[in-house]
Amino acid sequence: MEKKAHKAVRTDKFWFGLDNAAKIFPAVINKDFTAVFRLSVVLKQPVRIKAFLKAVSLSEERFPYFKVQLKKGFFWYYLEHIPLHFPVEFDHKNPCRRFAHNGLLFRIMVSGKKISLEFSHILTDGTGAFEFLKTLLALYTKELALELPRDFEYLKPGEAIREEEYEDSYKRYFREDIPPIIKRPKAFHLPGQLKSSPHFEMINTILSLKDVRALAAKKKVSINDYLVSVYLYVLQEIYEKLKHIRKYKKCKYIRIQVPVNLRNIFPSKTMRNFSLFVMPGIDLRLGHYSFDEILKTVYHQIRLETDEKLINKNISRNVGSEKKIYIKSIPLFIKGFILRMKYLSLGPKQYSGVLTNLGMIKFPPDTENLIDHFVFTPPPPNKMTKVACGIVSFKEKLVLSFGNITKSNELEERFFQFFRERGLEIHFENNKKHMS
Amino acid sequence: MTTCSNCGVQLEDNMNFCPLCGEPNLDETTENIEYIKLRKQKQEEKMMTSFQKLSGKQKRKLFWEISGILLISGILISLVIDLLDGHGLSWSVYSMSICAVLFVNITLFSFLYRKIILSFAGSFITTAALLVLLDIFKNNIGWGVKFGVPLLLFAYLIVFGLVMIIRKAKEKELNLITYSLIAAGLISICVEALISIYQDGTLNLYWSLIVIICVLPVSSILLYIQYRLKKGTDLKRFFHI
Repeated sequence: MEKKAHKAVRTDKFWFGLDNAAKIFPAVINKDFTAVFRLSVVLKQPVRIKAFLKAVSLSEERFPYFKVQLKKGFFWYYLEHIPLHFPVEFDHKNPCRRFAHNGLLFRIMVSGKKISLEFSHILTDGTGAFEFLKTLLALYTKELALELPRDFEYLKPGEAIREEEYEDSYKRYFREDIPPIIKRPKAFHLPGQLKSSPHFEMINTILSLKDVRALAAKKKVSINDYLVSVYLYVLQEIYEKLKHIRKYKKCKYIRIQVPVNLRNIFPSKTMRNFSLFVMPGIDLRLGHYSFDEILKTVYHQIRLETDEKLINKNISRNVGSEKKIYIKSIPLFIKGFILRMKYLSLGPKQYSGVLTNLGMIKFPPDTENLIDHFVFTPPPPNKMTKVACGIVSFKEKLVLSFGNITKSNELEERFFQFFRERGLEIHFENNKKHMS
Repeated sequence: MTTCSNCGVQLEDNMNFCPLCGEPNLDETTENIEYIKLRKQKQEEKMMTSFQKLSGKQKRKLFWEISGILLISGILISLVIDLLDGHGLSWSVYSMSICAVLFVNITLFSFLYRKIILSFAGSFITTAALLVLLDIFKNNIGWGVKFGVPLLLFAYLIVFGLVMIIRKAKEKELNLITYSLIAAGLISICVEALISIYQDGTLNLYWSLIVIICVLPVSSILLYIQYRLKKGTDLKRFFHI
């Protein structure tokens, strides 16, 4: 097992196929739907560029699987080694831009106090990107001659690279003989006109973690459950406000796609995609839901859907179709059409919004003292979902990052209004005047 | 420690330039502040000019406007001169119809840039109409419909195919010359075939076969040069299933 990992570091042209979650992306990516997510850390002081560049160059050898480019095969895309250094850019362009062909699938950007990583979902998921950021911050701490405890766990340069980090863990946990999943009916989608291209705009807001935690604790649910419920509640409000005829036209299920890190369910150290999602939702045909009712159903749905057996069923559906020989042997240019069609019917048609939570981030004290907050922005939403939300907590700050491609900010405004009504203060990172 | 005036990161004192954005590292003395301000202003201006740079669509529109002015004034001038001659409409019908068809074609390709099939179809129809008109203007012997339009159709189909192939081509080097040569060979076959059918009523190919026979080896040599230099793709990787 170790052998291949070392081989991968040494030989120039190692390659691997795309993991199960990544397979769909090359077919559906375009200028606006880029499948690029962003993970930023805002420091208290401006970035010391010399130390940071050193940290980046030290980290390079530890992440050989990120030094890859996307190539077209006859049947599938694959990732092939590309001998480039990790690039560090000045962060002054639009966020979450698509990656060029024949280049790396991630970028490191710096501007003032902010360090941002943008990763293509073809390469890895939020957890994989965060592991990389963790290493960068640990090395940066060391470069600043601050203390980094020896027992702090991160992917250290110089240590052996585990074969597991390269693996497609979906395949490992795939079980045959599991029945396919039942297709869900179409979900409600936000109304609203799209902005002209480039559509994507992000709004980052900072809330007090203590206050949100207190709100959630009062209802005896987790912060994640609480925020999903707020999202559903807000979508219900938007639905109910629609004019009668438009309401009639819209689908009456509201579902939120909540990615789940499968590394927490199955033991895996992969640095590639290994997440699935659950879709808690409400059925508006049954009438108006109060916030408490939504909380109750979300709480149970999330627990039910993250059951190992049900997750297995999902993995089997996704991997199973990829394993079928008649699907495998369709040439790539035909597969592209099929994947594009499948993506819409299996993906965005089923959910009304996306809420992805990277969770609580912790570092050793010296590193924590450098950091003000983190921001986790999900990839630009597609034309159906229109808005997506990323959450990350650090110390006393919970940061909500909304990615929006429409001309309206109604969803965000209602979200903030919900918290304001409960006495919380909302701080905007990028000073949106009309909402402050 | 100083802070970069452009990107805001902290620089070591011994750094002359910011390694991130490439701006010079200057102390904020009065003299330098002026310079920093000036540079910032210049950069903003640079951003502005690049922002103000016309998009492809705007450029096409501008081209359309200029050619519209030229062609329409061409039509008017030739019309006036021809009428002043005192013999009514004579030679100006040629220049006017050519200008008009040219203008329609420019309009099609400027505004239907993305809808290539539609613009080619529109262009074909107007040019075919021009050929028929030219035939009518001069003796009306019928070459327009019998010979001109079919030849034009084949030429359009071949050029359309060529454009599509070039658009799709991943590498745009010698292979483009190859495709163009083959297209030229095909057009010459069409020309000879149509001439022979129009004149003799039978299909006789002679010189165009020589053209295509000459074109093929040249094309294959070009393709060979194009792909010979490339490393052979790893078949296992390419065909992984």
